Amino acid sequence: MTGAPFVILKDVAKRWNGQLGVEEISLDIEEGTFVALLGPSGCGKSTSLRLLAGLEIPDEGQILIDGRDVTTSAASDRNLSMVFQSYALFPHLSVAENVVFGLKVRRVPRAERAEKMARALEITGLQGYESRKPGELSGGQRQRVALARAIVAGQRLCLMDEPLSNLDAKLRNSVRKDIKKLQRDLGITVVYVTHDQTEAMSMADKVVLMKDGRIQQVGTPDDLYNRPVNTFVAEFVGAPPMALIDSSTVDGFEPGFTLGVRAEHVSIVPDGKGRLSCTVSEAEFLGSETLIGLNHAGTTGLSVLQPGLSLMPEGAHVDVTFDDHNLHKFNQEGERLAGT
Amino acid sequence: MSGVSRHIEAAGAILLALIWISPLLFAFWAAFHSTSDAVNFNVTAPWTLDNFRTAWDGAPWMRYFLNTFLLVTVVLIGQFILTTLAGFAFAKLEFPGKNLVFILVLMQLFILPEVLIVENYAMVSRLGLFDTILGVGMPYMASAFGIFLMRQSFKSVPIELHEAARIEGCGLLGILWRVYVPLAKPTYLAYALVSVSTHWNNFLWPLIVTNSPETRPLTVGLSIFGAPENGVDISVISAATMMSVAPLLIAFLLFQRQFVQAFLRAGIK
Repeated sequence: MTGAPFVILKDVAKRWNGQLGVEEISLDIEEGTFVALLGPSGCGKSTSLRLLAGLEIPDEGQILIDGRDVTTSAASDRNLSMVFQSYALFPHLSVAENVVFGLKVRRVPRAERAEKMARALEITGLQGYESRKPGELSGGQRQRVALARAIVAGQRLCLMDEPLSNLDAKLRNSVRKDIKKLQRDLGITVVYVTHDQTEAMSMADKVVLMKDGRIQQVGTPDDLYNRPVNTFVAEFVGAPPMALIDSSTVDGFEPGFTLGVRAEHVSIVPDGKGRLSCTVSEAEFLGSETLIGLNHAGTTGLSVLQPGLSLMPEGAHVDVTFDDHNLHKFNQEGERLAGT
Repeated sequence: MSGVSRHIEAAGAILLALIWISPLLFAFWAAFHSTSDAVNFNVTAPWTLDNFRTAWDGAPWMRYFLNTFLLVTVVLIGQFILTTLAGFAFAKLEFPGKNLVFILVLMQLFILPEVLIVENYAMVSRLGLFDTILGVGMPYMASAFGIFLMRQSFKSVPIELHEAARIEGCGLLGILWRVYVPLAKPTYLAYALVSVSTHWNNFLWPLIVTNSPETRPLTVGLSIFGAPENGVDISVISAATMMSVAPLLIAFLLFQRQFVQAFLRAGIK
C-alpha cells in the first residue's frame, strides 16, 4: 500500500443552470475498500458517482484515480466499471456477448476473452445461461449479468448505482452478501450509491452521507450510528432513527439545544418515575421485538423497543427514561456539541 | 344487432379489397390470354404464355431488372448511411442550431419531389451524373422521412445503454454501430420496405434523368415498351407489367408476416 488514497475528489462541484448539483465534494477512498454514498433522493449521490465515472464533467475541482488526474478524461479512459440501477444490459446481445462487450471493444484477443468470461460467469454463478438474451432472464439473473460485466475486465474500481433497488426484499439480502463477498475476494474498490441506510451500513467500510449536494459526514458505520455530526445524520441513520428532544422538555438541562437518543437506550419505567411522560402513537411488531412510537411535546421520532410481542394501545400513557451518557447533544444549528 | 353490423363491415371490407385488387387481377388474367379474348372478357378462352414470350423478346428486360435492382440497392445503402448518421446527431448530440436544422430537414417533407425535378436535373448534370444509376438515386438519399424515423427510434434507446457502452470503452461511432443500430433493426426493416417499394415503382424522375437502356429502370423500360407508338397490345403490356411487379409481389407474399411485424415494432402505420 502506498500512502496516497486510490481515489481522490478535491472540492468537486457540478451545477446545472445555476441550480445546485453538488458542491465541495472532497473525499479520499482507499484501495480495496467499500464506500457507500448514502442520502435521500436528490442529494447528489448519483451525480457524485457520475462525476467519478466520467459521465459528467465537474465545473470545479479535481478527480484523481490511482494517482492520475482524470478530471476531464473520457469515461472509457478511467479504467473503471459500472453497474447501473437498470443494469443497462444490451437487449440485442446474449449474456456472453454482454459480458465480453467491453473486452471486444478494447480488442482483447479471443482466447483471453473466453477465459475471462468463463471466470466471470463462474464467479457470478451464470454458467449455462451464456446464450440467453437479457429478456429471458429473471431480475436477479440480470443483476448478476451486470455484475459479471463489471468484474470481467478486472478493473480495480467498480461503481454501483443502486444495483439492488429493482430486486425484491429477500433477493436483495442475499445479493447484498454476494456483492460484499465479491468485493472482498477480488480486492476491488467499490463505490456504491444507495438511499437505503441498512444497505450502506451493512456493506460499507466507509459511509458518505450526503444532503442537498453536500457531504454531511464521512465515517465508518459505527461513526455514523454512534457519533452523528448533526441532527440530519442522526435522523437518517438507524432504524428507527434517533429521536430528537428539545432540551427544555427534560429536567436538568438548560434550554437552547437538542438532545438525541436512540430507541434502544430508552426504557419504560413505572408511572411517575420517568423523565418524560408520553402517549403511545403506534406499536409495530417486528418479530423479536416491538417498536412503540411515542408522542410528547418537543420531541420527534421518540420510540422505545420492547422485547417480544408487547403491543400497547394507542393513546396509552407511559413514562420513559434514559441515561445521560447515552444522550447526544446538538446545538440549535443541529451541529454536534464537542465532548458528547 | 352487432352481429348484423359485423357482417356489413366484413362485406364492405371485402368489397373494397376486391375493387382495389381488380386491376391487378385483370392484368394477371389478360397476361395469360390473347388480346382479343382479353378485351372481350372471354372468360372461357384458353390460357397462353405467348404474351410473355412476345414481351420478353421486345425489350432488354434482364438489363432493366438489373438496373432497378442496382438503383434500389444504391438508394437504400445511401439512405441507411445518411439517415443513420443524421438521425443519431439529431437524437443524441448537442450542437448549436440543432432544432433549426431539424426543422429545415422536416420541411423537406412538405415539398413534393416533383417540384424539384428541374433543380435536381441541373444539379445531377453539374455533378456529371446524368444518365447514371447513382444520378437516379442521389436526390433521394438524404431522406427527411428516414432521418425523422431514425431519430425517433434512436431517441427511444435508454440513455443507460449509451452510458454503459461509454464506460466499456466505446467511442461515439462505436456506440452508434454496436448499440443504436442493432436496437433499431425493426425500424431499418420497415424503412427498407418503404424505400424499396417506392424506388422500385418510381417513374417520373428516372424517366427524365436516364437516356439509355444501360441505366433505365424497369418502370421506364415498361413505359417505353407500352408506349402507344409501338401499338397498344393490352395482353402483352399486361404480361410485361406482371413481370416487372412480380419480384416485389412475391417477396411481399413470402415475407408478409415479418414485414407487418416490422411495421408494428417500428411504430409506423
